[in-house]
Amino acid sequence: MMAGNGTLALAALLLHALAFLVLAVAAPLRRLGRPAAYVSILCAAGSLGGAVLSWRAHTGETISRLVWTWLPSEGQTLATVGVLADADSTVMLVLVALVSLLVQVYSLGYLSDEPPPALGRYYTYQSLFAFSMMGLVLAPNFLQLFMCWELVGLCSYLLIGFWYQRPAAQRAALKAFWITKAGDVGFLIGIVLLWRHTGTFDLTEMRMLADNGALPLAGLSVMMFCVYLGAVGKSAQFPLHIWLPDAMEGPTPVSALIHAATMVTAGVYLLHRTSWLFALTPDVLAIVAWVGAFTALLSAVLACVQNDIKRVLAYSTVSQLSYMMAAIGAGFSAAGFFHLLTHGVFKALLFLGAGAVIHAVHSNDLADMGGLARRMPQTAIVFIVGALSLAGLPLFAGFLSKEEILGATLAGGFMGPFLVLIVVAFLTAFYMFRVVFLAFYGAGAPAAAPAVGAGHAAVHDAHDAGAHGHATPHRVDEPTASMLLPLWVLALLSVGIGVYFTFVHPEPEFTSPAWLMPLAVGSAVAGIGLAWATYQRRAIDAARLAAAFGPIYRGALKRFWIDDLFERVYLQVILGFSRLIGWIDRYLVDGVLNVLSAWTVSAGDDMRTMQSGRAQDYVYGVAVGLLVILLWVQFG
Amino acid sequence: MNADVLAFWVLAVVLVGSALAVVLTKNLFHAVLWLALALTGTAGVFLLLDAEFLAAVQLLLYAGGIVTIVVFAIVVTERLVGERISQTSRRIVGAGAISGSLLAMLVRTIAQQRVPPAPPDMPADLTRAVGETVLTRFVLPFELLAVLMLAGLMGAIYFARPDD
Amino acid sequence: MGLQAYLTLAAVVFCIGLFGVITRRNTIGILLGIELMLNSVNINLVAFARYLGDVTGMVFAVFAICITVTEAALGLAIVILLFRIRRTVIADQLDLLKG
Repeated sequence: MMAGNGTLALAALLLHALAFLVLAVAAPLRRLGRPAAYVSILCAAGSLGGAVLSWRAHTGETISRLVWTWLPSEGQTLATVGVLADADSTVMLVLVALVSLLVQVYSLGYLSDEPPPALGRYYTYQSLFAFSMMGLVLAPNFLQLFMCWELVGLCSYLLIGFWYQRPAAQRAALKAFWITKAGDVGFLIGIVLLWRHTGTFDLTEMRMLADNGALPLAGLSVMMFCVYLGAVGKSAQFPLHIWLPDAMEGPTPVSALIHAATMVTAGVYLLHRTSWLFALTPDVLAIVAWVGAFTALLSAVLACVQNDIKRVLAYSTVSQLSYMMAAIGAGFSAAGFFHLLTHGVFKALLFLGAGAVIHAVHSNDLADMGGLARRMPQTAIVFIVGALSLAGLPLFAGFLSKEEILGATLAGGFMGPFLVLIVVAFLTAFYMFRVVFLAFYGAGAPAAAPAVGAGHAAVHDAHDAGAHGHATPHRVDEPTASMLLPLWVLALLSVGIGVYFTFVHPEPEFTSPAWLMPLAVGSAVAGIGLAWATYQRRAIDAARLAAAFGPIYRGALKRFWIDDLFERVYLQVILGFSRLIGWIDRYLVDGVLNVLSAWTVSAGDDMRTMQSGRAQDYVYGVAVGLLVILLWVQFG
Repeated sequence: MNADVLAFWVLAVVLVGSALAVVLTKNLFHAVLWLALALTGTAGVFLLLDAEFLAAVQLLLYAGGIVTIVVFAIVVTERLVGERISQTSRRIVGAGAISGSLLAMLVRTIAQQRVPPAPPDMPADLTRAVGETVLTRFVLPFELLAVLMLAGLMGAIYFARPDD
Repeated sequence: MGLQAYLTLAAVVFCIGLFGVITRRNTIGILLGIELMLNSVNINLVAFARYLGDVTGMVFAVFAICITVTEAALGLAIVILLFRIRRTVIADQLDLLKG
C-alpha cells in the first residue's frame, strides 16, 4: 500500500475544492462571469490529469488509503476523512473528472447568454459539485460518503433551480431534494444501524470483518435494505423515480453531468462499493433486482410517449440505472458498474447533443424539431453515435456492458427480470431512434411530424408548416466550438470504448449462453426498425400504434398517476401533520406560556397592593414579620 | 392578700382598661383623656416598684406634657365641634389576630422563664442613685440626649415657622 | 408580685398599643398607640431594674421618657404640617409612599 499514490486522487479532489473556495469567497471574481469559468475549467483540467494518473497507478488490486482522524473517541477514532483509492474508485474518478471538465467547457457556449454574475454562480456550483462527487467516490468510510452524498444532493438542488426565477425550476429543485431526502433518511438509519452492528464506519475494516466471516448476520438484511433506500432515492428507482424527469428544468449541461453520468449513478456506485456487504443478504439483492427490472420497464414505457427531448433522455436514464441495479441484484455488481461507466459516457453525449439541438432550436419540444441533420450535420452524427451506444449495437460503447447485464441476470437465476430487460432493450432502441428520426430527419416542419398522440398535432396545426418552424425565428446552426469539442470527445470515446470491448473481451464472472448476444442485438435492431418504420417511412401510423396499447398509452401520458399520488400524500399527510403541529404550537405551547405570563402579571398586580403607601400597612407587615420570627424561634 | 398584690391588681385593671379605651374610643378627644389615665396608672406602677423619681417624671412629662400637646394638635387639626370622623378601620380583625398572637407568644416566653429570686434590697435613696449613675456611668448618653433634644427643638421650630 | 406579673402587664399594654397603631384611622390616634407602646417598655425597664437590683434600668427609663417626649413633639408637629398641606389627618389618605 503506497500512500503516495493516494495523493494524486486527493489532489484531483482538492483542485475542485480550491476552485469552489476561490469562487465562493472572491465575489468580485465570480461576478465577472467568464474569468470565473476559466478558473473552474482550469482546476477541472488539472483534476482530470490527477485522476487519470491515479487510475493508471491503481490497476489490479492496488489500494491506497490516505486518511486523517476526524472524530476521535475513547481509544479508537470514530471517523476519518480521506481517500480510498482502488481500481473501481479511480476509474469512477476519471469518469467524474472527465465529464465535469467537458460539461464545464460546454457550458461556456451553452450559457453564453447568461449575465456574468449568474455564470459565475453556475461555475461555483459546478466546482462544488465536482468536489462533492469526488469526495463521495473516494470516501473511505460511510460518514464521509454520506456527507458527500448530501452535498451532492444540495448541488443538484442548486443547479436544477439555477434559473430560480422560473417557478417550474423552483418546484423541480424542491421536488428533487425532497424525494431524494426520503431515501437519504433510510440511508442514514442504515449507516447508524451498521455502525452499531459492526462498531465501525470504515469500509476497509468492515470488509475485513465480512471476509473473515466475523460479521454477524442477524438483522443485517434490514440494515442493508435501509442503505439500499438511499440508492432508491438517488438513483431514481421506483417509487422515488419521479424527481428525475422534472429535474430537466435545469440547464442541459447540468442534466448531462448530474442526472446522467455522476450524481444519479452514486446509488449504483454505493451498491457496487459495498457489494461484499450485500452479498451477505441475498434477499435484499432479490428486491434490488426486481425493483430494478420493474423500474426499467416503467420508465422505458414512459419514455416512448414523451414529446420533450430531455424528458425522453431522463426516463432513459432511469431505465438504464435500473438496468445496472438489476445486474447488481443478480449478484454481479461488476457488470452493473461497467455499464455505469459506459452509460456515463454516451448518456452525457446524448444530453449534450440534445442541448446543442435545444440551443439551436430554442425549444425542447420534438414537434419544433425536424430535419436537423441537414442543418446540423456534426451534431447529428454525434447524437446518432450516442443513440447507437444506448441501443447497444456492436462497435459502440453500450454493447458489451448491456450484454453483460443481461448475462448477469440470467446467470443469477432471475428469469423474470431477464425477460423484462430484453423487452426494455427493445423499447430503448425504439424510443431513442424515435427521437433521432423525429429530430434529425423528416420534413423539418412542426405540424408535419406528429409525435405519438393525435391531440398533439391539433395543437400545432395552428403553426405554419414552412421550412423553419415558428419556434425558430433564428437560423439553425451548428453549435459553437466550445460546445462541439466536448461532443466530439465523447463521441470518439464512445466509439473507442465500443471498438475496444468488441474485440477485447475481459474475463466474465459468469458464462452466458451463446444465444444471448444475438438476442440482445436482435431486439435492439428490431426496435430501431420499428422506429424507422413508424417515424421515418410512415409505414405504420403512430397514432394507431399508440391506440393499440390503449390503457397503457393513456396511463403513460399521465405518468401512471404516480406523481399525482405523491402529491396527494404530500398534501394530506404532511400538511395535515403541520396543521396539527401548528395547533399544538398555538394552543399548547403558546397557551402554557400565555397562562404563565398571565399568572405573573396578576401576581404582580396582587403584590402591588402591598405597596399601599400607607405607613399603617407597613407597621402591620412588620408586626406580622415579628410574629413569624417569634414563632420560628419558639418552634423552629 | 397583702396590700402590694391588691394595689398591683387595681393598677393593672386601670391601666389595661384605659389602654383599651384609648384604642377603641371613637372620639379622639376622649381617647386622649383615657391616655392620661393610663399614664397615671403607669406612674402608680412605678411607685409600686419603688421608683419614686420615675413616677414623678412620668407624671410631669407624660401625663402633663404629652397629653397637653396632643390636645393642642387635635384642636388644630380637627373640627371638634360638629362632624365626627369615624375611627373604625378596615384591619380590626387582622390587627386583633396579630396582636393577640403576639401577646400569646410573649406571655408564653415570659412564663417559661425560671422564677427569679426575691427582689433584692434597693438603695434607700433611689433618686440619688439614679442621679449618680446618670452623671457618672451614663454621662455620655446623657449629653447625647441633650443634643438630641436640642435638635428636636430646632426641628420643631423649623416646622412651626410661618409660611413665607 | 413577681417579675413575671409586671412583664405580662407590660406585654398586654404593648399589644394593645400595637393594635391601636394598626387600626386607628386618625394619625393622632396612631401616635397615641405609639405612646402606649413606649409606656409599656418603660414599665418593663423599671420592673427589671427593681428585680435585678440594678439601677441602670431606671436610668434608661428616664432616657426613654425624654426621647419619647421629643418624638411626640416632633411627630405632632409633622401632623400639623401635613394638615396644613393636605387638609386631612386621615392616615388612609396619606399615601405618598405608594409605589
